[in-house]
Amino acid sequence: MKCTMCGSAAGCDGCPIGADFFVARSLASLAAGQRATIRRLAARTPADLRKLLALGLLPGVELVVERHWPAVVLRLDCSCVALDATLADGVLVSLAA
Amino acid sequence: MGAATQLAHGATAASTVQLVLVGAPNVGKSALFGRLTGIYAVVSNYPGTSVEVTRGTLTAGGRRVEVVDTPGMYSMLPVSEEERVARASLLVGTHTVIHVVDASHLERSLPLTLQLLSLGQPVVVACNLLDEARAAGRAPDLALLSGRLGVPVVGTVATTGEGVDELMAEALAAPPPADGWALPEPFSSMVSRVGTDGLVAELALSGDPEIECEVRESLPGPWDEARAARDARWAGAEPFAVAVAVARRRMAVALLDGVLPAAGGGVLQEGGRWARALDRLVLSPWSGFLVVGLVLYLGFYKFVGGLGAGTAVDWIDRVMFGRFLGPAADALARSAIPWPVVRDLVTGPYGLLSLGLRYAFAIVLPIVTAFFLVFALLEDSGYLPRLALLLDRALKRLGLSGRAVIPLVLGFGCNTMATLVTRTLESRRERLIATLLLALAIPCSAQLGVVLGILSVWPAAVVVWALELDLVFLTVGRLAAVLLPGESPSFYLELPRLRWPQPLNVLRKTSTRVRWYFAEILPLFLLASVLLWAGDLTGLLQRATGLLEPLVRLVGLPAGAAPAFLYGFFRRDFGAAGLYELAHKGLLTPASLTTAAITITLFVPCIAQFLMMKRERGLKVAAAVLVVATVVAFAVGGLVGWLLRAVGGWA
Repeated sequence: MKCTMCGSAAGCDGCPIGADFFVARSLASLAAGQRATIRRLAARTPADLRKLLALGLLPGVELVVERHWPAVVLRLDCSCVALDATLADGVLVSLAA
Repeated sequence: MGAATQLAHGATAASTVQLVLVGAPNVGKSALFGRLTGIYAVVSNYPGTSVEVTRGTLTAGGRRVEVVDTPGMYSMLPVSEEERVARASLLVGTHTVIHVVDASHLERSLPLTLQLLSLGQPVVVACNLLDEARAAGRAPDLALLSGRLGVPVVGTVATTGEGVDELMAEALAAPPPADGWALPEPFSSMVSRVGTDGLVAELALSGDPEIECEVRESLPGPWDEARAARDARWAGAEPFAVAVAVARRRMAVALLDGVLPAAGGGVLQEGGRWARALDRLVLSPWSGFLVVGLVLYLGFYKFVGGLGAGTAVDWIDRVMFGRFLGPAADALARSAIPWPVVRDLVTGPYGLLSLGLRYAFAIVLPIVTAFFLVFALLEDSGYLPRLALLLDRALKRLGLSGRAVIPLVLGFGCNTMATLVTRTLESRRERLIATLLLALAIPCSAQLGVVLGILSVWPAAVVVWALELDLVFLTVGRLAAVLLPGESPSFYLELPRLRWPQPLNVLRKTSTRVRWYFAEILPLFLLASVLLWAGDLTGLLQRATGLLEPLVRLVGLPAGAAPAFLYGFFRRDFGAAGLYELAHKGLLTPASLTTAAITITLFVPCIAQFLMMKRERGLKVAAAVLVVATVVAFAVGGLVGWLLRAVGGWA
């Protein structure tokens, strides 16, 4: 994931032009206990995207990672969902402040 | 209500009102269906247990009402076959939709409600599990929500029946919804370009393969134009689908403002302390597998194997049939039926009573009941989804995903039922691998019980048998995963809360499954009895056994084992039961017994399973599985037999 404006992959705090840029991390990279907001869905296939939508994983939704093994388990909208690393890789999030 | 209820599978008459229950998995649709109609489909804590549409009819308010229960679905954009089945029942015909939602998870469910409202059919929202929401201090303001949506919203508790009568009354009186739930701009103008029903156009533009194909064929011109406009604005179907979902979620969140109490914790509310500790226990690497081992040992080995296949079978077979029913029937037959040939049909070696009914009730019934009871306990507690999660990584190596745990475990109960349940798996490839593994390496409970019963004399034989089955399971699964083309599946699952199993639920699930099982097998047992009796009478049986003998010898078994294989074609458990007799007469050595157990476990699945494979996968796949299973059974059986005799001490 790179910034669409300057190409930086690391993210720049206080971006001068206020581009829609965030320090993108995949959901798979989060540790248990971390809170994050979903920013973008980048699923591998259309079918995978539909799975994310079915679970309620949508841009703007807040979540907490509960577990990291044997798959990513997270809590959102008062429910608990599990997804494997492949699916979690397709969910780009920004950590909650 | 219950007295006027009956199962009906025919078309709906014009005067009948049709109510279609839809909703996410696990919100109590089937329980509500049971309350409304008095019919219990298998209610479950796991997606995929209602794999088919269930219908029930009743008379209410002087009208004939047909209630349809559908498999769980999260949205109108389906992922799995079962969701497609559910959607199909919504898109065709006129009906009133009852959207069953979990009162504690309204944020998740309301987007689907909004989609359903745009179908143009009357909609009633059943806010189920209201008791749990109340207990958590999250009971929604139903009147406010109903006012905002413009459709009835009824609070229900399916387990106690609360609100069910009101739901029925509202459903029968519900008018079609007022317009006004169309998507906001720019989606609505995009959708209207297609020139078909709003929801259909939306699904087509969102990239649903099935609906896109239909729309492209029926409205080629407008479709091309709309698609071009969509791609110009959103760069493809997927970004469009995401944008629509986000817009609907915003609408849902706005609708819920003030409907939900502003309790602490917000949307990321945490579960109870005990539930979380238990979750950690069953999902952590070491303790998780320890729990699996414990469940297998206590639930299956001790309860199903020990109590079901051991004590109960022994008592029913030896005491009830052996001492009382058998002799009584013999005496009765001798005095009432003067012709020996006809008498044999009832009480002879292949008699309806002495073979068919006795095997069904004395050997199969206790084992199957014990198995389904344990399965229902695991299911109702919410443990099965966690088991799926725990085994996901391992199953991926076999080309399956964690979801396959359900059919595979169910296969230990009844392979035929499990083959039906494989339709909850997502891809054709996964369904094929699961079907093959079920046919080959998963012994059903009846078989398992009888095989373990025979082998229990030599504990070492059980170990060899189990090791070999595992080896075949892993090898065949791995080979299938490598050889079959296609993408490896990805795993996703909603985890229900862990809870104490509810006795009523457990009993209902067990009895529904046992009834399903018996309806499938009893006719086969009786048919097998008649065929064997007729074959014996005409000498055909001896000739067929003679044909099988070389094969049986090839595996190193005495010729007397051939009939057992012949029975095995009718029911696998039947074949195993035949061996049980041989073992009791002391005709088998440890080596030949182990070989026989292995071969018969791997051998041709029973006729019921073959027919189910044909129905679900087609004749070609069913025939191929049959051939593979036969080859593997005799090859592995022969090899193991040869090895065991070479080792010595087994012959």
